[in-house]
Amino acid sequence: MASLRLPSLKKSGGDDGGILSRLSDYPIVKKGKSTACDAAYVAKRLLKSTGKAAWIAATTFIVLGIPLIIEMDREAQFNEVELQQASLLGGAAPAHPGYM
Amino acid sequence: MATLIPPSPATATTHPAAGPTNPTATEQPKVDYLNLPCPIPYEEIHREALMSLKPELFEGLRFDFTKGLNQKFSLSHSVMMGPTEVPSQSTETIKIPTANYEFGANFIDPKLMLFGRVMTDGRLNARLKCDLTENLTLKGNAQLTNEPHMSHGMFNFDYKGSDYRTQFQLGNGALFGASYIQSVSPHLSLGGEVFWAGQHRKSGIGYAARYNTDKMVTTGQVASTGMVALSYVQKVSEKVSLASDFMYNYMSRDVTASFGYDYILRQCRLRGKIDSNGVVAAFLEERFNMGLNFLLSAEIDHKKKDYKFGFGLTVGE
Repeated sequence: MASLRLPSLKKSGGDDGGILSRLSDYPIVKKGKSTACDAAYVAKRLLKSTGKAAWIAATTFIVLGIPLIIEMDREAQFNEVELQQASLLGGAAPAHPGYM
Repeated sequence: MATLIPPSPATATTHPAAGPTNPTATEQPKVDYLNLPCPIPYEEIHREALMSLKPELFEGLRFDFTKGLNQKFSLSHSVMMGPTEVPSQSTETIKIPTANYEFGANFIDPKLMLFGRVMTDGRLNARLKCDLTENLTLKGNAQLTNEPHMSHGMFNFDYKGSDYRTQFQLGNGALFGASYIQSVSPHLSLGGEVFWAGQHRKSGIGYAARYNTDKMVTTGQVASTGMVALSYVQKVSEKVSLASDFMYNYMSRDVTASFGYDYILRQCRLRGKIDSNGVVAAFLEERFNMGLNFLLSAEIDHKKKDYKFGFGLTVGE
């Protein structure tokens, strides 16, 4: 990888250039380099699409899930309060009118 | 094909099963086919599904104030502010900020209902519902705008029989329509409609079926315009109902399926839906006090990247 960034050094070094440039001529190194590049590309794409999916899931949850959770919780609290009142008043709690 | 009564939060949140069909006949082993319940009007067969899946979503601010002057007469004022979409050829939606004031007057009597609305952009809407006899009802709807060819008017004559309903429709632009719906069993009703629009040289025919019990409602509708609509609503409990619908247009080949929930709780009503176009929407009506309702509306279109949020306040009623 480093040899990619140092083309000028390689040119100035001539035939017997640095150890890095000689190393990069080996087929195994070349192959490894291209595999690493591919892997990096795939990982980037994967990360991008997971990020997008997570964004969609999170915004959907904010819109659909959070109000539902909050309202269910409120309803449960109301029921609890009413139950307490009913037990305090001896079961003669007034019937709460529903949301019209 | 809206009903005459505007779906205000009070009427829209009435019990969805409060239809005219009476499910008491279910327990009887033998069905009396001469004494079937009256079906619901043809144009309202999707009522429960529409109520759960199509809340009045809006963007920006809304403020509605209704003041009753006496038992029968009331005035309403509403202010709407926010971006409105401008139709354009490009796929991107263009929004321009607008503000509107609407003044309305309502007269409600058991026999006669009159509604009028005037908006500052010059639109006028008038509706009338009048019971001519016990079974015959006249409905009228007129819309006047300052743009040419956008004003229209319509009259409906509804006749309600013991186990059927029929409607005749007359509109400007030589629009004629008729529909008929009949109960064939205590749960099932079948109907059909024909229409002819003389100005556009179009005519069509449609059929519909509706099956309802006290726990669920299934409807299906086909029309020669290429529209196929199916819906299913399941009442999970007194407070919760789940709805789904499927729309297919044979001509334009677009398909939409959506699924939604509808919670009617003590202090609020919450409706949420998600559909196959990537649109997520929620509508919350919260009751702060008697006659003071708070509205929150949210709509996210993931595909078009169009986000609409609105809040509102309803005072009065």
